[in-house]
Amino acid sequence: MTVGSAVLNILVFPGFLFLVAFGLAGEFVDRKLYARLQNRQGPPWYQPLADFLKLLGKENVIPEGADRPTFRLAPVFALAAVVASIFYIPLGSTTSVLPFEGDLIVVLYLLVIPTVAFFLGGWTSRSVFATIGAFRAITQVFAYEIPLFVALLAPALLANTWSISGIAAYYAGHPWLWLVNLLGFGVALVSLLGKLEKVPFDTPEAETEIVAGSFIEYSGRRLAFFRLAIDCEAIVGASLVAAVFLPFGLGLTPVLGILVYVAKVLLILGILALLRTLFARLRIDQMVHFCWSVVAPIAFLQILINLVVRELI
Amino acid sequence: MPDKKRTVRVPIGPQHPALKEPESFMVDLQGEKITSVALRLGYNHRGIEKGCEERTYMQDLYLVERVCGICSHSHATAFVQAVEEIAGLEIPRRAKYIRTLIAELERVHSHLLWLGVAGHEIGFDTLLMYSWRDRELVMDLFAELTGNRVNYAMNTLGGVRRDIAAEQFPHILKIVDALEERTKYYIELAMTEETLAQRLSGVGRLSKEDAVRLGAVGPTARASGADRDTRRDDPYAAYDELEFRVITDDRCDVFGRAVVRLGELMQSYSLIRQILKQMPEGPIAVKAPLKIPAGEAVSRYEAPRGEDVHYVRANGTDKPERVKVRAPTLANTQSIAKMLEDGYLADLPIVVAAIDPCFSCTDRTIAVRGGRDSKTMGWEELVQYGVRWYRERGVDPSRIKVRGDESA
Amino acid sequence: MSEAESLVAQLVATFPALNGRVTVQRAKRVWIDVDRQVFPEVFRHLAKDLGFEVFCMITGLDEGADLGLIYHLARNDGLMANVKTRCPKGESMETITSIFPGGGIYERELIDLLGAHIEGLPEGSRYPLPDNWPKDEHPLLKDWKPREKGAQDA
Repeated sequence: MTVGSAVLNILVFPGFLFLVAFGLAGEFVDRKLYARLQNRQGPPWYQPLADFLKLLGKENVIPEGADRPTFRLAPVFALAAVVASIFYIPLGSTTSVLPFEGDLIVVLYLLVIPTVAFFLGGWTSRSVFATIGAFRAITQVFAYEIPLFVALLAPALLANTWSISGIAAYYAGHPWLWLVNLLGFGVALVSLLGKLEKVPFDTPEAETEIVAGSFIEYSGRRLAFFRLAIDCEAIVGASLVAAVFLPFGLGLTPVLGILVYVAKVLLILGILALLRTLFARLRIDQMVHFCWSVVAPIAFLQILINLVVRELI
Repeated sequence: MPDKKRTVRVPIGPQHPALKEPESFMVDLQGEKITSVALRLGYNHRGIEKGCEERTYMQDLYLVERVCGICSHSHATAFVQAVEEIAGLEIPRRAKYIRTLIAELERVHSHLLWLGVAGHEIGFDTLLMYSWRDRELVMDLFAELTGNRVNYAMNTLGGVRRDIAAEQFPHILKIVDALEERTKYYIELAMTEETLAQRLSGVGRLSKEDAVRLGAVGPTARASGADRDTRRDDPYAAYDELEFRVITDDRCDVFGRAVVRLGELMQSYSLIRQILKQMPEGPIAVKAPLKIPAGEAVSRYEAPRGEDVHYVRANGTDKPERVKVRAPTLANTQSIAKMLEDGYLADLPIVVAAIDPCFSCTDRTIAVRGGRDSKTMGWEELVQYGVRWYRERGVDPSRIKVRGDESA
Repeated sequence: MSEAESLVAQLVATFPALNGRVTVQRAKRVWIDVDRQVFPEVFRHLAKDLGFEVFCMITGLDEGADLGLIYHLARNDGLMANVKTRCPKGESMETITSIFPGGGIYERELIDLLGAHIEGLPEGSRYPLPDNWPKDEHPLLKDWKPREKGAQDA
């Protein structure tokens, strides 16, 4: 890889620019769909961008007594981790920018960093609401991460590789085998709702209880970057799920491949928007209970199924 | 393990997104569990009772209507009934029916509003959007019948101010039919939706004994199994000629309160149909004297949130000697601490919302003074400050007419 | 005999001093005028023995040298008993929170707005006036007038 193509990869595609543009577009799709499902008009297409630019121009306030470096760096960490993880996920084809054996594990860990950043940002804010939000965020991690890991482990077991690109390549070679992983797909979607802190798992930022949770003391640029990180995280999360669980239409031309990829991500975002229209917010104890007693067993069941299927083929 | 150091004190209010009006809950938490709640009310005291003593009865009628934005007809009717009793006025039957019609439409709009707020408090915004959309039907109907979406000003001493024409009946019935259809859908939703049941059932428990002991009223009391409803027990307006069921429930929790309100909506639709069917012909008001003879009376009225109680003492002049208002929320706030016992922080918004609080009605007084605290600004001062702030930044607000500018 | 009339008979039988001081305004309204000394007894009797378990409110009135107090009680059948008594300004009334724990808020209202003195009221924040409101000003007294606009800035 030359320096020129590396810079292009990092800054333009599939790096920063692409991810930010797709993230903002994804936020628009989510908000518009959510609004239409609720019988509302919804925002115009440029609203997420307008919100972002507006926040950039607002005053930055750091609360007294906050740990300034942590408070400042938390949003940057969140965004950087999310952008870094896109290089290991194959988008329109069966190979990512930097594939290596074990990149699935790396991506999963990279995707925990934003949540840790929310926690640190909230924790250093010195506000009771932020503290409660931070603790709820970290409690939730333990509830949804395990089912997510286990659900992603199942397809990897079948493909016998720890690389996302490898998984995609394996399923491209065995068409229709991805149907075996449907249970895991469901589990991954539910976990993604938790990761993105969306209804019914939005307790860490429950407006009517703790106002905005971890983000309550954030303003201006830093809040803008936190929100951008969440938007990008939605895209990366959806891309990961699409690469592992929906591995079809991969051998096409690059342009067509990207179009199929975009369609898959939008489908996943659409399902997430639909889910958050349907439910009320669960209490944190109910959320943890639900994840451990329903979601985790289903994920383990998927592992069992895949072990049996592996013996059969 | 109870450990003093681990207790976190969380201020919910006076300003907080869960609260639509200022009031303050100081909540002590251990983890997510509530250990104690301290309540402070009074942020909306506007001096209405004192104001009533300095105005004529007719002016008071409009002032009292503004005790509450949602149940404005309730307060106006409760007040006017007390004055009519002192003056010995017998109002025409048609006026009684019109008052009852507006009262029931108000209940419909208030309960639909509550349903939306309840949805929002538990993070179920879809329910909020749907029920508030449906509520628009009633609001528009109000605009048609009374000229206003809120503060309808239908009452006058001795009757009502506007007649309702027979040509308007089919339209009212059409809207009632549409709303009944929607309400049935919400009832089905409440009974089948899993997360809704999880968030509402067993939350904010208030036993019947506690409800009676702490003086809960309205749907809050009825959802705890206390079978009382002023419309039936101490009938006013046209309620003694109409048939309806008092909805009670013995779940004693937030879910029960939702069930009672949804049930009451269905009763209200049936009441509105009866009213339109039985509406008598005749005048809509009798002439009332300007000066009310000395005397006193208490009037009770079943508002959507519970019982309104108004006391009026007249001294023979055109101004009352004393007007006392008891809004239902004041009675219901006494039970909040009990309901929150051993609850979760996450349940606080819905438990508070479940009494359908209306803190403005509860408080009523002051505005006149800025206080001795030097940081407090009066209204005029605030206006001047705003004008100055913009001028310094090159914006000329002189074309905008403000009260403070007239003297300058 | 109607509910209201039987209530009058019952009350007069228990408290002969009330003879002639219990009036029936209409079917559901009874007014009882009692002296401050016997008020607690009559009130407790109504609440505990005669079924008046709904406590509506307390109305406070500025009657010159006295504070007029009306305790509004109701029964489940809709009958309302309004117990009137008077308390000289500066003297104190006994709290009713031992009978109706939810009644404290109405007593705090009397303290703030009319300067009443209530004995035995559990501690708690004031209601409804702000914490920095002067302790000796009570807006519902007839001689209290709001200050002119702008006066607070001086």
